[in-house]
Amino acid sequence: MSFLADYVHYIGCFALVLIGLYIVLVKTNLVKVIIGINLIDTGVNLFLVSVGYIRMGTAPIFSEDGAAGKQMVDPVPQALVLTAIVIGVSVVALGLSVAIRLYEHYGTLDLRKIRELKW
Amino acid sequence: MVNPILLIAVPLGLGFIIPLLGLIWEKPTRYVPAAAMVFNLAASLLLLPKVLQRPWVVETAGLPPPFSIHLVAGPLGVGLSLLIALVGLLVAIYAIGYVREGPVAKYHSLYLFLLTGATGMVLTADLFNLFVFFEILCISSYALVAYHGDRAGTESSAKYLIQGAIGSSLVLIGIGFVYGLFGTLSMADIARNIDSVSPMKLFLPMAFLITGFGVEAAVLPLNAWLPDAHSSAPSSISAILSGIAIKAGLYAVARVLFTIYGADTIALLVLVIGILTLLVGEMSAFSQNNIKRLLAYSSIGQIGLIVFALGLASALGVQGALFLVVSHALAKSLLFLSVGYMIYRTGSMEISSLYGMGRRMPVSALCFTIGAFSLVGLPPFIGFPAKFTVIMAALERADPLFTALVGVVLVGTVVEGAYFFRIVQGLHFRPPPESATPARADQEEAPVSALVPICLLAALIVAVGVYPSVLTHYLGPAARDLLDKAAYIHHVLGP
Amino acid sequence: MLPTTILIVAFGSAGFVYLAGRVHARVRDTLAVLSSLVLVGLIGLGYGAWREVVYVPDFLGLELVLRLNLLAWFFAITVAAVVSLSTIFSLSYMRRKESANFHYSATLAVEGAMLGTVFAGDLLSFFIFWEIMSWSAYLLISCNRGRALEAGLKYIIMSLVGSCAMLIGLLAMYSGLGVLSIPLVAEGMQAASPGFVLLVLLTFGLGFGIKSAMVPLHTWLPDAHSEAASPFSAVLSGVLIKMGIYGFVLLMYVVVGLKLLLGVGAGWLTFRHILCWLGAITVVVPTFIAVLQSDAKRLLAWSSIGQIGYIILGLSFGTSLAFAGAIFHALNHALCKSLLFLAVGAVEHNTGGVRDLNDLGGLAKRMPVTFACALLAGLGLIGIPLTSGFVPKWLIYRSLIEDGYPFLALAALIGTWGAILYVYKLLHNIFLGQLPEKHREVRRAPLSMRIPILLLGLGILVFGVVPGIPLRAVQDIGHTFGLAQLKVTLWGLGSEAGALNMLNICLAVVIAFAAAFLLLRLGAKGRAVDQEDSYAAGSAVPVGRYHYTVDFYGPLSRMISPYLRDRADEFYYWLAARGREIADLTRKVYTGYAGTYVLYIVSFLAALIFLQLVWHIW
Repeated sequence: MSFLADYVHYIGCFALVLIGLYIVLVKTNLVKVIIGINLIDTGVNLFLVSVGYIRMGTAPIFSEDGAAGKQMVDPVPQALVLTAIVIGVSVVALGLSVAIRLYEHYGTLDLRKIRELKW
Repeated sequence: MVNPILLIAVPLGLGFIIPLLGLIWEKPTRYVPAAAMVFNLAASLLLLPKVLQRPWVVETAGLPPPFSIHLVAGPLGVGLSLLIALVGLLVAIYAIGYVREGPVAKYHSLYLFLLTGATGMVLTADLFNLFVFFEILCISSYALVAYHGDRAGTESSAKYLIQGAIGSSLVLIGIGFVYGLFGTLSMADIARNIDSVSPMKLFLPMAFLITGFGVEAAVLPLNAWLPDAHSSAPSSISAILSGIAIKAGLYAVARVLFTIYGADTIALLVLVIGILTLLVGEMSAFSQNNIKRLLAYSSIGQIGLIVFALGLASALGVQGALFLVVSHALAKSLLFLSVGYMIYRTGSMEISSLYGMGRRMPVSALCFTIGAFSLVGLPPFIGFPAKFTVIMAALERADPLFTALVGVVLVGTVVEGAYFFRIVQGLHFRPPPESATPARADQEEAPVSALVPICLLAALIVAVGVYPSVLTHYLGPAARDLLDKAAYIHHVLGP
Repeated sequence: MLPTTILIVAFGSAGFVYLAGRVHARVRDTLAVLSSLVLVGLIGLGYGAWREVVYVPDFLGLELVLRLNLLAWFFAITVAAVVSLSTIFSLSYMRRKESANFHYSATLAVEGAMLGTVFAGDLLSFFIFWEIMSWSAYLLISCNRGRALEAGLKYIIMSLVGSCAMLIGLLAMYSGLGVLSIPLVAEGMQAASPGFVLLVLLTFGLGFGIKSAMVPLHTWLPDAHSEAASPFSAVLSGVLIKMGIYGFVLLMYVVVGLKLLLGVGAGWLTFRHILCWLGAITVVVPTFIAVLQSDAKRLLAWSSIGQIGYIILGLSFGTSLAFAGAIFHALNHALCKSLLFLAVGAVEHNTGGVRDLNDLGGLAKRMPVTFACALLAGLGLIGIPLTSGFVPKWLIYRSLIEDGYPFLALAALIGTWGAILYVYKLLHNIFLGQLPEKHREVRRAPLSMRIPILLLGLGILVFGVVPGIPLRAVQDIGHTFGLAQLKVTLWGLGSEAGALNMLNICLAVVIAFAAAFLLLRLGAKGRAVDQEDSYAAGSAVPVGRYHYTVDFYGPLSRMISPYLRDRADEFYYWLAARGREIADLTRKVYTGYAGTYVLYIVSFLAALIFLQLVWHIW
C-alpha cells in the first residue's frame, strides 16, 4: 500500500498525460484534440509540482522563525509550473483561434477531412 | 562592452513596443525588427572576439551559477546569435516591402519574438529557460505560419501546433525528470553530476528531451509539420523558419546530447537517424511540383545531413555540422526569399508556372541559382566547403562502414542535384507557360527592399565559398564549445 | 604568377563579356574573341616557364596550388586553341540569338575551369575546377533550350555521380595520407595498401570515366553533344571530354604510378586489363552505333566515344609507344572533332538548322572550303596518312601487336573500319551527291566560320606531315612518368622503336593520290545531270523521295542494329524510373492527417525507450 501512497500523484499525473495523448491520437475533432493537449499540459504541470512535493511540507516562505528549510516544498518546480501554465494557456488559446479560422475555411473540424496538405 | 543579455532584451522589448506603436502610427513598425537586428548584429560582432578567448557567464539575479538563471555567451552561442541576427536582419529588410496586407504590426512583433526565442535558446545555460525560449519561438511561429489566414496557412498552423504542443509537453516531462534526479536546472551542473545516476534512469529524460526538441529540429519521424508549415507560411517566414527556427531546435538537441549527456555511445543512432532523414527528405522533394514544398523537403534533407555530421561526434564532424548550419541558413533563406516574389508575380507555387522567370526577374533567378548550387554543394559556393568538411570528418574514421555511409549520403546529394538542376533549367531556359502575362520588364523584378537582402545573401554565399577560412576560424572554437563538456562546466561553474 | 594570371583573365573576361553584352553586341564579340586569343597567347608564352604557385594559402587548412608543367601546358594550349576558334566561329553562329551573351560568357568560364583543372597542383583545386567545369558546361548545354534541356540534365546528373565518387576517393586519400598536393600524394601512394589503391582507382576512375564517356558510362554524351549549340559541341567533344583523359593520365601515371597500377588485381583480372578491354569495347560498339545515326551531330557524338576508346586503350596499355599514341590521339581528336562539329555547325547555320543527314547533299560546290577541311578531318579520324590521325593510330596498333595482344589490335582495327563507314556517310550525305532543290540557295559559310575551320584543317595537315612537333612534347611527358624514351625526329620516330618517317609516307600518299586522281579524271565517263533528270523504269521520280542519301547503309543497319541497343542507357533510365517510384512511395509517409503525425512522435519516443531496454544503447 505504501507504494501506492508514495507514488499516487505520479500515477495520477501520468494517467492524465496518457488520457490526453489518447485523445490526441484517436479523436479527429480539432477541438477535442486541443482539449487533449490541454489535459497533457495539466498532467505535466501536476508532475512538475509533485517532483518538488514533500509530504506534509509547508509553503516555501520563511514566515515564522524556526521553520526548518527541510520541511519546505521545493519552490523551483512551482515557479516552473507557473510559467508552464502560461505557456499552455497561450498554446491552447492560439489553437482555438486557429480552429475557428479553420472552420471558416473548411466548414468542418474533422482532421481527417482537413488534409489538403500532404505528400 | 555590451552585455549579452541585451541580445535578448532588446528584441524582446522592441517586440512589445511594436503593438503599442502600431496603435498610434503603424507605418514605422515595419522598420523596428530591422533596427533590433542591426543592434544584435553589431553586439554579436563586438562580443565575438571577446568570447572566443573566454565565455562570458551572465548572472541575472546576482547569484553565481548554479543558482538562478544565467546566460553563457560562448563561441557557439554568440556565433549562432550572430547568424540569427544576420539572417533575421536580411529577412526583416525583405519583409519591409513584402508584408503589406493583414495585421502588419502583429507580424513584426511576432517576428521579433521568434528571433528572441532563437537567440535566447542559444545563449541560455538553464534547461528550463531553454524550454521557455523554445516555446516563445514555437508559439510565434505557429501564429506566423497562419499569418495570411488562408486555407493552407491555417491548416498547417493547426497541425504544427498539435505536433509542437505534444513536443513541448515531452520536453517538460523530460525537464521534470531531470529536476527530480538532480535538483538543479543549470545545464553545467547537470552535466557535472551526470555520472552519479544510473544510465537507465538517465536515459528516460534524455529520450523525452530529444523527442521533444526533435520535433522542432525536424529529424525523421518528427518532421511532418515542416513541409506543411514551410510551404504555406509567407515566404519571409518560410525563410526564417528554414534558416533559423529548425537550427534552434537542432541546437537544443545537440546541447542535450553533447554538453549535458556527452553521449558518444548513441552517436551511431544519431548518425543513422540523420541518414534516414536525409534520404526521406530528398526523395520526398524529388518529384514535388510545389516549389516551396520542395524547398521545405530539401530543408529536411539538409537537416539530415547536419544530424549525420553531429552523429560523427568528432571535432571535425561537429565543425562540419556547424558549417552546414551556416551554409543552409544562408542558402535556404536566399532560396525562399528569391522565390517569394516569383510566386507573388505569377500567383502560383507550381514549378511549371515559374518557367521562364529568368527573363522576367533576372536578378532573383540568378540568386536562386546560386542558392541552389550552394545547397547541392558545388564550388565556389559555401555549400561546397561545408559538405566537404562533413565528408572529410566521416572519412577520417578510415572505416569501410563510414565510407559506405558517405556513399549513401552522396546518393542524397545526387537526388538533390537532380531536382535543383531541373528547377534551374526551368527558371532560365524553359519557355514561360502560355498563361503568363506578357512581360513588362521594368515592373517585373522584385523591389529594391527585396533585392538588397537577396543579393547580400548571394554575395555572402560566394564570398565564404571562396574564402572559407573566414568562417572556419570561428567554427573550431564553436565546435569545441559544444563538444568539450569539461571546459563548459569549468567555464560556467568555475574550477 | 602565370597560371594565376591565366585563370584571372579567363574568369574575369567571362564576367566582363557578359556585362559588355549588356552594352552592345559588337563590344561583346570583340572582347570575347580578344580574350580567348589573349589566353592562347598567355599559355603559349608560358611554355618552358614551369613553376608552382600557391594561390590560396588556406582553404579549410589546405594549400591550393597551381602548377605549370609540360603535361598541363600541352592540354592547356589545346583547350585554349579550340575554345578560341570556337569563339570566332560563334561570331556568326550566335549572331542574333537571344542567349548569345550567356553563351560567350559561359564558354569563357568553361575554358577557365578547364584550364584550372589542368593547372591544378593539388587534388582539391583539381576537384574544385572540375566541378565548376561540370556545372558551367551544364548551363551552357541547357542554354540551347528544347531537347537540350533533358540532355543537360542527364549530363549534370551523371557528372554529379562521378564527382561524388571522386569526392570519396579524394577525401579517403586525404585522411589516409594527410596531403593533397599531387607530388606528395604520389609519394604517399607508393606505400599504400592494395585495397586503398583500388578504392582510389575505382572512385576516381568512375569520375573520369563518366567525363570522358567510357562505355558503359557514356550515355550522357550522344544527347549532350548533339543538342548543345554547335560551337559548344566542338568544345565539348574537342576538349571537355579530354579532361577525363587528363584525369586518367593524372590518376594512372602520376598519382598511382605505372608500377603500382600494373600490380593492382590478380592474374587476368587486373585493373589494366579491364580498362584495356573497356577501351576496346568503347572503340567498337559506339563506332557502329555512329554508323546508324542519321543526325549529323549525333553521328559525330557517337564517333567521339569511339575515338575516346582508342585513347583509353592506349593509356591503359601503358607502354611508351601506346602512351605517346594516346596523348597524340587526344590532340588529333581535339582538332578533327572540333573541326567536324564546326563544319556541321556551318552547314546547320547556312541551311537554316538542318542537320538531318537524309535531308542534305551536294553542298561541296556551295561550301568548298568547309568540305575540304571536313574531308581532312574525316580522314584524320580514320587515320589516313597526311593527317595527324595516322601517327597516333599507327603507334597504338604497333604497340598492341608488338606486345602480343592481337584481339585488342583487332578491336582497334574494326573500329577504324567503322570509322571509314561513318566518315564516308557523313561527308557523302552532306557534301556529295546531288543538291536537294531546297538547298539551292545555300551560300558559302561566312568568313568568321571559315577561318577557324581552315586553321583547324591546317593544324591537322601540319601535325600529319611533321608529327615530330607534338610527338616530342608527348614523349617528354611520357619520360617524366618513367616511360622509355622514344627516338623522336621531326618526321616521325627513329629506327630503334620502329622507324616511322612521315616524309616518305606523305610523299608516297601524295603520289598515289595524284596518280589515282589523274587516272580517274582521264578515265572518267561521268556527266553532271540535273536533279530533275532522274529516271526510273520509264517514269520520272518525284524529287526528294528517292534522294539516295536517304536510308544510307540501310541493309547494314538492318543487320547490325539489333545488336547495338544502348543497354547502358536503358538501364540508367530504368534505374531512374524505379528511383522515382521509390521516392513517390516514400513521401506517402506524410499522410496529411495530424493523428498519424502524433503517432510518429509517440512511436519515436517508444522506439528510443525500447532500444534502451533491449540493447542498453546508453
